[in-house]
Amino acid sequence: MTAVSSTLLTPRLTAVVAHNWKLAIAVAVVVSAISMAGLPAAVSFWVVGAAAALVAAAFTVNAYRRHYFGALLVAPAIAVLFVMNIFPLLWSLGLSFFAYQANQQTIRFVGLGNYVRILTNDLAAHATWGALINTAMFVVFTVSAQMIVGFLLAILFAKQFPLRKYLLILVLTPMMLSVVASGVFFTYYYDPTFGILSYVINSISGNQFILMSNKVGAVAGIVFADAWMWSPFVMLLVLAGLVSVPKYLYEAAAIDRISSWRQFWMITFPYIRGLLMLALLFRTIEAFKLADLVILLTKGGNDTLTISYHLIRIANEQNKTSEGAAISYLMLFMVIVLTNLYLYLANRRTKGA
Amino acid sequence: MTAMTKVKGLATAASFAATLLVGGVTYASAEEVTLTMAVPDWPPTRIMKKFFDEQYKPKSGNTVKLDVDFIPWPDFYTRVNASLTSGEKKYNFIVSDSQWLGAFVEGGYFRKINDLIDADPELKATMESMHPAVLNAYSTYPNSTPNYYGFPQFPDVLVTYGRKDVLCNDDEQAAFKAKYNEKLPCTGEEIDAMDWNTFEHVGEFFQRKKGDKLAGQVLDDDFYGIAYQAGKGYDFSTSSVHTFVWEHGGGIWDETKAPTGHAEGVVNSPKSIEGMEHFLKLLKYMPPVVKTGTMDIFVSDQLFREGKVAMNIDWIGLGEASLDPKTSKVADKLVFGLAPGLRGPDGKVNRTSQIGGQPFVLTTWTTPEQIKEAVGFVKWWLSPDIQNQFAAAGGQSAIKSVYSDPKYVTYRPWDRAWANSLDWQKDMWHVPQFFELLTQQQDQYDLAITGKQDAKTTLDNIAKFQEDLLKNAGLIQ
Repeated sequence: MTAVSSTLLTPRLTAVVAHNWKLAIAVAVVVSAISMAGLPAAVSFWVVGAAAALVAAAFTVNAYRRHYFGALLVAPAIAVLFVMNIFPLLWSLGLSFFAYQANQQTIRFVGLGNYVRILTNDLAAHATWGALINTAMFVVFTVSAQMIVGFLLAILFAKQFPLRKYLLILVLTPMMLSVVASGVFFTYYYDPTFGILSYVINSISGNQFILMSNKVGAVAGIVFADAWMWSPFVMLLVLAGLVSVPKYLYEAAAIDRISSWRQFWMITFPYIRGLLMLALLFRTIEAFKLADLVILLTKGGNDTLTISYHLIRIANEQNKTSEGAAISYLMLFMVIVLTNLYLYLANRRTKGA
Repeated sequence: MTAMTKVKGLATAASFAATLLVGGVTYASAEEVTLTMAVPDWPPTRIMKKFFDEQYKPKSGNTVKLDVDFIPWPDFYTRVNASLTSGEKKYNFIVSDSQWLGAFVEGGYFRKINDLIDADPELKATMESMHPAVLNAYSTYPNSTPNYYGFPQFPDVLVTYGRKDVLCNDDEQAAFKAKYNEKLPCTGEEIDAMDWNTFEHVGEFFQRKKGDKLAGQVLDDDFYGIAYQAGKGYDFSTSSVHTFVWEHGGGIWDETKAPTGHAEGVVNSPKSIEGMEHFLKLLKYMPPVVKTGTMDIFVSDQLFREGKVAMNIDWIGLGEASLDPKTSKVADKLVFGLAPGLRGPDGKVNRTSQIGGQPFVLTTWTTPEQIKEAVGFVKWWLSPDIQNQFAAAGGQSAIKSVYSDPKYVTYRPWDRAWANSLDWQKDMWHVPQFFELLTQQQDQYDLAITGKQDAKTTLDNIAKFQEDLLKNAGLIQ
């Protein structure tokens, strides 16, 4: 079998055999170019699609005849990834260089115009930068709140105590609720007329209490709701780390009479550091995309507009498709830089340890 | 396999294919027409679907199916916008907020209906029998030109919702008279005559703390005089601010004056600023949620139904819930009247208000066969009999012969305010830039409503933005 595969010769470019993928590509390019130039868009779309399928088929036959079974097995996954993920990604990157609105039929090349506009135009850039600063603020506050609360909860639940199992389920519930449900719940919770929060404060202080009437209150309200929902996630990850620490290390430490503070830093922390880093990474990326809670609780009022919500308004409500594409690439760039920074720091620490 | 069986097999396959083909043709000649419709999910559209299923018999003899997608209000624009711009061509009929006309006409999605109106004298008569304010707001693009796009589905205006038990209480009446030397409006007619000053007095007068007395009873919670939309979402402050700006003699950018009209100097004219300041002055008498910038039409409606305010100005479309004892604590205490107006130095009340409600429009990919049935359906929907039934079930009609019929006001308690409100309804912009104009304006209004900036700065910012945007769009020279 292997002998056959190694002797399968690369066909000449002009040879009409099923595995001649070079010829398939050449044909596909020529046919696509002709159909795009000569046929109406609705027809040429399908012709180009068929040409792409031809190339894919040639590659498949080639791989099959050469017994590249590993490649064949992953091919469907790669194909789906390309069609659903990479292609739209590249398409929107392309769009960001054009002036295009989804509800209008014209398109015009503007180069970096959209990027220049969102970063420097005195009206558009003001909104972008304001939203980015708010987003950064939410990232810092929500992630630190979640990390601290989640970590403390994990320390608590790593110990055995009565009703632990049931309490654990209770603590995990917020994470399983839909964001919309929690958002509506918190809207009522904070409401000055119907809400329990202002009711309690009213009856103590006697004064009216309106949490969401200024920026500090609105941010606190959103951060609290977000932390309520996602601290359990951090807790789960940290808990997994805590239970993986071998008992004998603590026993050895106890024999050496090492203080529990040092036990924590010398034994526990190294075990959970990786997972903490992972939780931090996940939550940072998620917090960077925060929009749902803001929409539900403030609609971006009291200066709580985040970059994601700004993007939704630009791209979906106002149909400024290509400007939206430019903003999403700005966001993608920032997330990539941020995550790589994390990974770099994490790796450096690991090497240093 | 012998040659013979092969032939037999082929023959079977061929006859099977033929059956399929012929079957397909017969199926098509049965003339079953489906009209697909995107509508917001609320009583006016549910009633329409119910009437259709129960009563509609197409005159053409075809079988017409109405396939309705009920979409929740908060999602409605996003879903319709996504469907249209993605090119899926799913809907033949779309209930559209009047302001979306420009964006979707320019996009090539909404079908002009002048040819249909001209070709059908009956439809023409129906369109002509409609109140001009409604026709202009719901049908025309560019605004107020004879280019028609929509048929009214549910026309709507702002009216005053009041609580009789509080407003008509003798003690409260006497105290109000003593304090302001005027009568506290109690009946529908008195509310009709109410101006913004009286409305403000009602607001001030009914600010009560927990433990205070209201209409002879000790309150177990704070109580407020008035509520009126002032929220950041969608158009939930634009609708109220525009009313004040117009009544004070100010203006918004007027699309009918494009391209020579301007935003600068109109939007932020002294009169406009005066109007906005007047609106902001009323906020301090409203429930505290207004300070968070989230008091939209649904929140103020809920506050009213929960019995927390004496008066609320809101769309008729939300009225059904306040009549229903299951959703309303004030169901048996309701009184309705016109929205207040501004009393001029001559004692006359000047009224102008932002119109609500929605038309439904046809899409450009609807086939001639579907259009024929769609027109039949529209004529049926706008026929006096169905419009009367619609109004009796909680809807509204803009057809003159229907709303001027004396029995119209007996359908629902707010119907007495309907016909009288129509004359002074106005609409905002229909231009494709509508959403940009609206979001920026809503953001700025929100800053003023939550006390971050004054009316002048707000309107200056809006004027600057609109001037810039509309100049780039070629709508201002």
